[in-house]
Amino acid sequence: MQEKDEVAEVRQKLAKAAQMLLFKHHREPGARRWELRRALGRNYEEIVKALDAELEKLGLTVKVVGEGDSESDRFVVTFREHPSLGDVRTFGWRIDDMSMLAMTLATIVARGGKVAGKEVQRILEEKFPKWRVESAIDRFIRMGYLQEDEKGVLYLGWRARAEVDEKALLSLLLGREKKEG
Amino acid sequence: MTQRERRELIERIIDLCESVRSRGLDPFDVQVRELLDRLRELFPELKRLEDLYLDLRAVSGLADVVVHQSEWLKHRSSILYLDPLLVMLKMQVMEPAELADVFVRCWRPVVEMESITPSAIRMGLDYWTELPPLSERGLEIGVAETRTGRISEEELREMGIVSEEEFSRLMEEEWKRMLREVGREGISYWKWVCAKTFEETVRRSWILSFLISYGYVDVEVKPLEEEIVIRPREKPVQPGETRSLVIPVTYEEWRRHAGKGRGG
Repeated sequence: MQEKDEVAEVRQKLAKAAQMLLFKHHREPGARRWELRRALGRNYEEIVKALDAELEKLGLTVKVVGEGDSESDRFVVTFREHPSLGDVRTFGWRIDDMSMLAMTLATIVARGGKVAGKEVQRILEEKFPKWRVESAIDRFIRMGYLQEDEKGVLYLGWRARAEVDEKALLSLLLGREKKEG
Repeated sequence: MTQRERRELIERIIDLCESVRSRGLDPFDVQVRELLDRLRELFPELKRLEDLYLDLRAVSGLADVVVHQSEWLKHRSSILYLDPLLVMLKMQVMEPAELADVFVRCWRPVVEMESITPSAIRMGLDYWTELPPLSERGLEIGVAETRTGRISEEELREMGIVSEEEFSRLMEEEWKRMLREVGREGISYWKWVCAKTFEETVRRSWILSFLISYGYVDVEVKPLEEEIVIRPREKPVQPGETRSLVIPVTYEEWRRHAGKGRGG
C-alpha cells in the first residue's frame, strides 16, 4: 500500500515537473532551479531525470542553462536532435531571419562573447536592407537570442545558450566550402 | 610637455581602455607596458588634484585591459577559439540559405506551450461580472470614441493581416514602382496614394509611411501650396534628425481627392 502511494506521488511530481518545464510562466518558458526545488522537493533532480527519460521517447530533452548563480539556472525542454530546414519553415521562420541570426551568433561567439550592436548591423546590412536588419535584431533581443547592454553591446541571450550548440555552429561554418557554379 | 598636453594624453589612454570594455576592441592592441611607462614619466609632473584623478582612472583602465587580455587568452586557448576574421570571411561568401542551413544543424529549439489557467478564467469572469453594460457607460447616445494609435508591423503580422514575407515584398514592389513611375521629380502625396477604393488608398498610404520611415522616400511639405511632395531615393538613407508628419487619411479626404489620383 505504501509502495503504491509512493508511485502515485512520483507520478504526480512528474506531471508537475512537465507542466513547469513545458508551459510558459510569465513571458519565458521553463523553470528555475529554486522553483523546481520548492515545487518538487529535495529530490527534484531525480524527478527531472525521470522526466527526461520520458521525453526522450518524444525526441525531446531537458536542458539546464546556467544563469550566474546555480539557484537561478533555467531548466527548459528542447528538441533532442536538430530539426530539418523544411520543418523549420513550418515553425514560422524565414530563411533570411535564420541566416541573420546565424551570422550574429557566430560573430559574437568568434569574438569572444560580445560585439558592438552597430558592428553587427553594418555586417548584416551588406546583404539585407536596413529596416529588415533593425527589426530582426530587435526581435532576436525580445526572443532571448541576444542580450544588449546600455552601451549597445550584444551578447548571447539565454535562448541562444539553451538552443544553439556554439561549437557546432563554428565548426559547420568553417567546414563548409562555397559551392562552385 | 604642457599641462594641457599631459591631460590630453591621459584622457586618450582612458578612452582607449574604455573602447576595449565597451566596443569590443582587441585588448592586445593596447600597449599596456608602454602606456604605463608614459604615465610613470608624467606622474611627477602632476600637481593638480584633477590631473591625479585622471591618472588614477588611466591606471585603473589599463588594469581593466589586462583583465580583458586574460579573458581573451582563456577564450583563445579554449576549444571554441577560431580566428574571427576567418569566420567572418567564410560567412561573407555564403548565401543566406546556406547560413540558414548551418544554423538549423546546430539548433535545438525550446519547446514551449501556452495555456489559460483556472485563476485567469476566474479573473476574466470577475471582470465580466463587474463590467457595466454599454448602456451605462455613456455610449447609448451614439457617441463613439475614436482614438488614434500606432500599429506596428509586428502587430499586423500577429493579427494575420500581413506576413513578414508579404510585407517585405509589398515594400520593395512599391519602392521600385515609385522609382520607375515617378523618378527623382517626385509626385504629390495624394496623387500617389489615391486609388479607386478607400481601402486601397489606406493600404497605399500605410506602405508609403514605412517607406518614408525607413528612408526609402523623401518628403517635402509645401505649406503655401498646401501640398506634400514625395520623392523616391535611389538608395535608402539613414534619417538624421527625425520628425513626425501626420497625414490623416479619412474617407472625406479620399472623396475630395478621388479622381485626381493615379488610380489603379
